[in-house]
Amino acid sequence: MFKCCLHSQLQFRSETSLESDHLMGSREPIVLIFLILISTYESSAKGGIAEELNEEFTEGLLLRPLPDRKVLAHFHFQSSVPPTRIYGRHHHLFPKSIYQLVNKFRVREMELSFTQGRWNYERWGGYDPISSSSAKPPGVELWADFDVPLDQVDDSWRNLTHALSGLFCASINFLEHSTSYSAPQWSFHSFAGKLRYGTLPREAVCTENLTPWLKLLPCRDKAGLSALMDRPSIYKGYYHSQRLHLTSDDFGTAKSNAGTMLEQTLTVVLQPNTLGARAMVSGKTLQPSWSLNSLFGRKVHGKCSVSKSSNVYVQFEQNLVSELKEVRKKSEAPESGILIHDDFGNNTIFEMSASPDRVVKEVENLQKEDSSILLEFLVEDYNDSKPFDLGLRWKLPVVWSCQQAPLHASRFLMGSGNERGAIAISLKSLSSNNTPTVGCCEKGSQLRINIFQVVPWYVKVYYHTLKVFIDGELQSTMENIEKIHISPSEDKVSPGVMEMILRLPCGVITAALTLEFDKGFLHIDEYPPDANQGFDIPSAVVSFTDFQASASFEDNLLNKLPILNELQERKHVISYTEVLLVPLTTPDFSMPYNVITITCTVFALYFGSLLNVLRRRVGEEERRLKSKGDFK
Amino acid sequence: MIYPPPLNLVQFSFLAISEQYLSILTQTPIRLINYRFRYRSPPPFREIDDLSTAIESSPILFPCHFRAVFVNFDPNSYTADQLSISVQAHMAKFAAKNSPACGTCASNVTVSVTLDSNSNCISNGNNVDWKCGALNEFKFAEKHEDGLLDEDFASLLDNNSGAKVYTVVAVKTEQEEVRAVVGKYRHAWIMGRIFEEEAIEKIAEIFVNVFMNGGKEEGLIHGEFMPLGADGRIVLSFNLLNADPHNWIYDWDFQEIDENLLSPVIDALKPLADVSVESQVLYHTPKSSFSFWDDRLDSYIFSTKDLPFFVNSNEWHLDTSVAAGGLSKILQFVVYVPSAKECPLQLQLPNGEISTTNGFISPMWGGIVVWNPSACLTDSKIKHPLRYKISSEDSRKLFEVFMGQLRQLFGLKSDGLFVGASGTSILLASERGFSEWELDVLSRQHSCFNLLQCGTTLGSLSRLVQSLPRMIIMDDIGKQVKYSLEAARLTLSNALLGIYDASAESSRQARLLAEDAFYHPSMMSVSYYSFEHCFAVYSPFFLPVSLHVLLAVLREWKRYKQESKKYYAWKAK
Repeated sequence: MFKCCLHSQLQFRSETSLESDHLMGSREPIVLIFLILISTYESSAKGGIAEELNEEFTEGLLLRPLPDRKVLAHFHFQSSVPPTRIYGRHHHLFPKSIYQLVNKFRVREMELSFTQGRWNYERWGGYDPISSSSAKPPGVELWADFDVPLDQVDDSWRNLTHALSGLFCASINFLEHSTSYSAPQWSFHSFAGKLRYGTLPREAVCTENLTPWLKLLPCRDKAGLSALMDRPSIYKGYYHSQRLHLTSDDFGTAKSNAGTMLEQTLTVVLQPNTLGARAMVSGKTLQPSWSLNSLFGRKVHGKCSVSKSSNVYVQFEQNLVSELKEVRKKSEAPESGILIHDDFGNNTIFEMSASPDRVVKEVENLQKEDSSILLEFLVEDYNDSKPFDLGLRWKLPVVWSCQQAPLHASRFLMGSGNERGAIAISLKSLSSNNTPTVGCCEKGSQLRINIFQVVPWYVKVYYHTLKVFIDGELQSTMENIEKIHISPSEDKVSPGVMEMILRLPCGVITAALTLEFDKGFLHIDEYPPDANQGFDIPSAVVSFTDFQASASFEDNLLNKLPILNELQERKHVISYTEVLLVPLTTPDFSMPYNVITITCTVFALYFGSLLNVLRRRVGEEERRLKSKGDFK
Repeated sequence: MIYPPPLNLVQFSFLAISEQYLSILTQTPIRLINYRFRYRSPPPFREIDDLSTAIESSPILFPCHFRAVFVNFDPNSYTADQLSISVQAHMAKFAAKNSPACGTCASNVTVSVTLDSNSNCISNGNNVDWKCGALNEFKFAEKHEDGLLDEDFASLLDNNSGAKVYTVVAVKTEQEEVRAVVGKYRHAWIMGRIFEEEAIEKIAEIFVNVFMNGGKEEGLIHGEFMPLGADGRIVLSFNLLNADPHNWIYDWDFQEIDENLLSPVIDALKPLADVSVESQVLYHTPKSSFSFWDDRLDSYIFSTKDLPFFVNSNEWHLDTSVAAGGLSKILQFVVYVPSAKECPLQLQLPNGEISTTNGFISPMWGGIVVWNPSACLTDSKIKHPLRYKISSEDSRKLFEVFMGQLRQLFGLKSDGLFVGASGTSILLASERGFSEWELDVLSRQHSCFNLLQCGTTLGSLSRLVQSLPRMIIMDDIGKQVKYSLEAARLTLSNALLGIYDASAESSRQARLLAEDAFYHPSMMSVSYYSFEHCFAVYSPFFLPVSLHVLLAVLREWKRYKQESKKYYAWKAK
């Protein structure tokens, strides 16, 4: 049985590409649109960079009310420096430590995230750019792409993990062992074999990680938007993710001269402090009102003096905007159905404490319905005597839901006992109709889903047991998999990696993948402290390659603002699944001492009885007994 | 009668088996230890001890060659040999004042003397290539510029033999004022109406106190605290701190400073150390000490007793560089731009005067300069902070202060004057920051310091190993110790031959290897078998066994008393 498993595992090792031709034809119109968009975007970006060759720092904050009475705050900081060959190696704004890190280890691109809590894809959205880029798996996630010869990549990775571990006061150095990182081939990001990916699901994230992260900002948390980061308010939130994304083309021979760019984001989901009972209007509960001061306990006293721009945005999502229109139609006389720019400060549904400096509408390229709206506030005009405190107060109850990813991904364990089990990844289409099923279902085409999963070696997955269920029915595996790459785990050397592109028919309601596994045994030295808690299997990455999570805005001038650039960046819709907790058989760690004690007791008993026997004088005792008997 | 208890065969065999078991139990850890001992390669203790005693008893001394040239002196009053002897006697007198410091010259000092007068030219010694009468070609009276004169002497004394000979030229002229100047190369000159005795004393002083000891005075940084990493690397980290960017933001063009001013210095230091430079600009970095307003001086004052609290390590994140390895030395140089609340900020010296450089150093850490922006005098409240750039004139001045601080950190003089017993001499400053004779002094001291450090490191390593006999020592460490000792021996032999550069290089190697051996990862985890562990393992066995033995002894003792009582009773009967 076991041999057979291994054999089939080996068969799977070879990459199988099952691309079919008729698929390409059906996607043509979308591809064309994308191409046009990409080309316009690129040209505008190039034009912006060619003008000035200077270090830049910008800061931005995006606030968004969430449907479940919470508020999303997304801080975005970006520092950039022109390439070394033109600009030199002395900097004025860009953090020295990061520049040296990039140069020493020749990092082409790197992303490091520290996350506490889990992003709730159902309630907080799974389709927008923020959920795709800033929703991260719990703990630490690090991936890096190096510009070194292939045989040196692992060494660079090891050195980088140690340097980052020192820089961010975290145990990132645990990622240096070959058992804890992997080299995805094509599913995660397409780089030719020089990318390394590792996660630490159990890393606790706290202020000691935030402080070094803030040190990379020129104003730290002394001035500007980062002054809002009051530690207790940030860490009492429901979700907290600090991210650092680094791109550098210092080493490449490419003609582009973007230099090195450091993007730092902090995404928090906070519960506004609603004192007392919830306000009720006509039987429905109002959304909580909030202000910067009530969320963070601080106000903004002007911008960071060295930042180029410092803006705060409030975003109303597409669904919320259409809901607002509905509510207005009901409550008011049928005026104009469209929200007019001027009444954003104070209208019948909500009230803002400051009037926005500008209102930006998203340009919907695919749907002609309502589009999301960004209200822009400039922090520059505020100072110590007039601090900036943005507030939002709801007057009428509003209920809406976020835009969802095409399918909701979750992962769970099956089976019981300490011997074997199975991992299941389930993809569920959410019943509500607001999922944009564009690009699918129009001509009966198929939905492509990219799954990337890393499993530690002590969970021995039998990849030949891969089963695909669609709408509850078992399907033949090969028909539904377009491309698969598997590198099986090697005991104490490397983890098992599975990358695959799944092809699902349109209008699918549920799909599931199952993989069986055996639980391995570890050496007594390899168990972590508190081994009885179980072992974590890192999150799987599910990306929907047919869908782009990006928003484009009507104003072309906005391209220069990095926070909006981030929203406009073309990315696949990505979601992370849960971390799995696998209980393994744990040995009795006190066993050696128990054995020693028992053996020693047995020997002591034996020695005691022997000593007794040696000491006893049988004849004498008999005589004594006799004499006693005589007395009687 | 009392009979001994009968021991039957079965009981005997039991005893034998138990003994065997006991031996297995007790022998196992001992065998384990023996097994581990096989991986132990003891470092050569005796050689280490020999080296450290050799270094400590007699500091390494280098041979030095000096040359004195007397121009226009009366050739009949003294012969060259006489002059040479009297210069050496004076030198011995000066050298006796301070005990022979590490890295100075040994007793095998050679002094050659040339007498150059208009008519004839006498010299002793064989390595003299002074072109007699050549000096007359130069018109001294027309040349008052010391720098130009220095170049002239350099071309005159240019010796291609490679040996490092220090020269003092004494020229008798009609000038009233006697002027002593030490040049940028390896020579000095004395000019003026001067007599032989005076000249001899002055020459001897320049030889001993300047060329040999680097012109140091008491109270300056001792040579042992040279800011050089064990791997011979220094990182100069320049930081511009804007205390409060709400008032004003200053920036600098460090690229220009690096290219124009710093690169010659780095080149000059190349034989001594591998210097790398980095810079950054920081914001929101207030100082942590207080300053007060002084009406008389019309500025904010911080005094020398506040200096230990000036550096605000909470807010000044002068990051230790990733580029520097663990053994490199980082020197921080900080330009502090005060905020409007404390501008202008001046450093008051203990004697009540205001410091001209407005800066200070902290040995082995670096230097700080307070730079008051011109904007603070205008005292205008600006709503939005203005961005300025430190002008190239100002940055040049700042850099000069930093250069002085760097020299001080290396233990050299920064004011360009040497005040000796026989008068003041001028030390010409090189545009490269360090003159050649200063670099010689530094490299001598560096090799001596490295050797001392290597000796103490190896000594403590051997003491550690000897004090923990159960510690496991990897073969690598033994090898590193061996190579380190070899490099140390090479240093000593090079020093005897007077090859400064090679001895500095090999001493660096010796120290690096010694430090590597001491900080070897396997040494860090001192995994040895403790006796407590042994006790914990065997106590479950020996406690019950000892209980049995005790009980048996008690019973036997009781019985003995009983029986003896009986016996005496029977005897009495």
